[in-house]
Amino acid sequence: MSPLDRRQFLTRSAALIGTTGLGGVAGAVAEAQSQASSPTQTTAAQARQTLANELATRVAFDAEHQAGILTPAQAQSSFVALDSLAPDRSTLVAALRDLSTRARSLAQGDTVGAEELDDPPPDSGILGPVNAPDQLTVTIAFGASLFDGRYGLHAMRPKGLERMPNFSHDNLEPTRTHGDVLLSVCAGQRDTVTHTVRELMRSVAGHLTPRWRIDGFQSARRGPTPANNPRNLFAFRDGTANPDVDDERLMDELVWVQADSGEPAWALGGTYQVVRTIRMHVEFWDRVGMFEQQNMIGRYRVSGAPLGGRNEFEDPRYDLDPEGKRIPLLAHIRLANPRTPQTADQRILRRGYNYDRGIDEAGNLDQGLVFVAFNQDIQRQFATVQTRLEAEEMVDYITPVGGGYFFAPRGSGGPGDWVGSGLFV
Amino acid sequence: MPSPRTPFAVKSSLLVLGAIALLAAAAFLGSALTPDGSSKARRFSVSETASKSVPNPLAGRLSKVYGTNIPASRYGTEVADLEDDGTNTAGEQISELSPLPAAAFTVPENEYRTYSRRWIARAHAEAILLEHALVDGARMAAMSAWEETWNDYLHLGAVYLSGEAAVANSAIDGTPGEFPGGATDPRFTGLHRIEIGLWGGQSLSSLIGLDVGLQHDLAKLSGVVARVEITPLEYATRSHEIIEDAQRDLLSGMDVPWSRQGVLGTAAGLAATEEVFHTLEPLLSGRENTEGEVRAELLMLNEVLASIRARHHGRYPILSELSIYERERLNGYVAGALSALEEMPGTLETKVRSPVPKLPQPSPAERATEAAARKVAEREL
Repeated sequence: MSPLDRRQFLTRSAALIGTTGLGGVAGAVAEAQSQASSPTQTTAAQARQTLANELATRVAFDAEHQAGILTPAQAQSSFVALDSLAPDRSTLVAALRDLSTRARSLAQGDTVGAEELDDPPPDSGILGPVNAPDQLTVTIAFGASLFDGRYGLHAMRPKGLERMPNFSHDNLEPTRTHGDVLLSVCAGQRDTVTHTVRELMRSVAGHLTPRWRIDGFQSARRGPTPANNPRNLFAFRDGTANPDVDDERLMDELVWVQADSGEPAWALGGTYQVVRTIRMHVEFWDRVGMFEQQNMIGRYRVSGAPLGGRNEFEDPRYDLDPEGKRIPLLAHIRLANPRTPQTADQRILRRGYNYDRGIDEAGNLDQGLVFVAFNQDIQRQFATVQTRLEAEEMVDYITPVGGGYFFAPRGSGGPGDWVGSGLFV
Repeated sequence: MPSPRTPFAVKSSLLVLGAIALLAAAAFLGSALTPDGSSKARRFSVSETASKSVPNPLAGRLSKVYGTNIPASRYGTEVADLEDDGTNTAGEQISELSPLPAAAFTVPENEYRTYSRRWIARAHAEAILLEHALVDGARMAAMSAWEETWNDYLHLGAVYLSGEAAVANSAIDGTPGEFPGGATDPRFTGLHRIEIGLWGGQSLSSLIGLDVGLQHDLAKLSGVVARVEITPLEYATRSHEIIEDAQRDLLSGMDVPWSRQGVLGTAAGLAATEEVFHTLEPLLSGRENTEGEVRAELLMLNEVLASIRARHHGRYPILSELSIYERERLNGYVAGALSALEEMPGTLETKVRSPVPKLPQPSPAERATEAAARKVAEREL
């Protein structure tokens, strides 16, 4: 979908829903606005209007490529890895179809139906009588283990899909790693994500069972300009050098599996998804001098500019600094993206989230990054970059503890189709 | 008519007045010497309350600030004020204290090398006892010998290593995560590999070869430590990295999921930290209040660990045996110690930071690229 198409679609969806399914919400907001007289009331009414608009925003589930890949990152997310209990291929097919059906309905926005009083309600109802779409995307991806001998899929395995290896400095926990199916659930509000995960798991109960889950959030964009990227939990801006998702040619070079790639036909138009749950030892980091922090990253913490530069989007010009006098040779940004012609096709599309999951045994905050990357070829892109990053000094302050390699197939073709159907043709 | 005071009453009043005067004096001195917890930027209350004419109360035992010609009597007043304002006595912009000469670290590092080799020798002797227990098929005795060997080894505070020392440390104290094949990787050897075998129920005879290899690696490390080069920054950083690692890897249980001996390891790390701190104390004298803060925090952590050990009949409990009360106190005082130790590298800086070279003004083409990148970011809104 072109950028214009996508923006128009979002706008039209919001307008459409505002006059139909979510009319009640919009009406309430209009009423609140009309009654507002004081500045405080006006501000509150504006906030409600903004929320209503966001809740009404819909991202299409059915499309050439799955939603939640090029879609601008929503504020909230959950990543849920599932293992299949399906005893046979047809049961697995039914479960995957159910996943798509329910995800489509929730992304569209639906009303909560009623059954007989003595039956359990068909929907948990935690969002009220209307499930507002709230920019919801559900991206469905498959792990290497799904292609083992259980369902006769071995020959269909995407050629680059393998079990995520233990990179140096990893401490992968089996209960937080791998999985047959990965659901990436993203939306504007936390309760939308919570509701969606609950409904999706309900729809496949007995066939797909949860293996691990991690919840994420985006930091707010706090400026100073609207363009400046939000910060990760080390306080540095994240996403500065991400490739342009509106550049279709670039996406074909870096993200989508192409026809001449030697991949099975069903995989064309899909992409490899890498998820890494990276614990960030934030207390440890906070005890490091600013000079060291900035040298480890290669950027100024406040502005996000490359060291020696003035603004976040400035080219670090490594060619002018071959000895690393300005930006150390082992700085994160230098290793992650050396910005040379030889490494241009190694770039990845990042779509990460912060996480915050309580405290550990030592009384430290268990916070970090749900690193999410989409790429056309894991070995050429993510694995190459990650291997380079093994030399960075920041490894002392982070511990990758989970995640996995997955393949996100092309999108569903419409209500009669489902994500992954091509695998079972 | 008021009754005349009795001599006893007069005496009592004088005593009370005297006590009040003493308390007031103590409070004044305390405010001058006690670190001000309300602000990390200004750790001396004295800089807030005392006039510049007040002499440094510590001057009695110090003659000058180490590595400088600044009389200690001026420290804590005008010098501290200037440092807090980010200027030196010449009015120049500074980021920290005046740098120390790198040669000042020669003596501390040599002391540390001697100390390390002594503990390696102890660990080697314990590894031999471990071998005997393995040969005898005595699992409990082997577990006990493993704990002693590991405890001795952790007294080195083996962090921030590179080159030969890092390779040797990985062979001795490496964890499965360092190897692509994890716990089953043939390159994974040493103490933690033996730990898995002991607590995981593997046959003791299968661990003998690993222990012999451990003895060999310890002997090799002793030679490496004798000649290893340690930069001043690495050595100063070591003073807080040891407990940082203990907190991250041991108290969390991450590196000891089998024996769960995180408390034992933390206590050994504290001992190593105390040794490093002890060797550096002469360099810290008169430089900010780092020495006093660190000493106080290490003492408190030491007391907590000693009390835990006493409550558990003279041995450190495994992590799951800690009561909530013990766990909270241990976690809290480790965090407190780290908050004090974080000042060590900066206090012991040996270099003046050079300004970061500036990028040249971007060309029109580069400006266009920047604008495109900004546009991509805006689109995320």
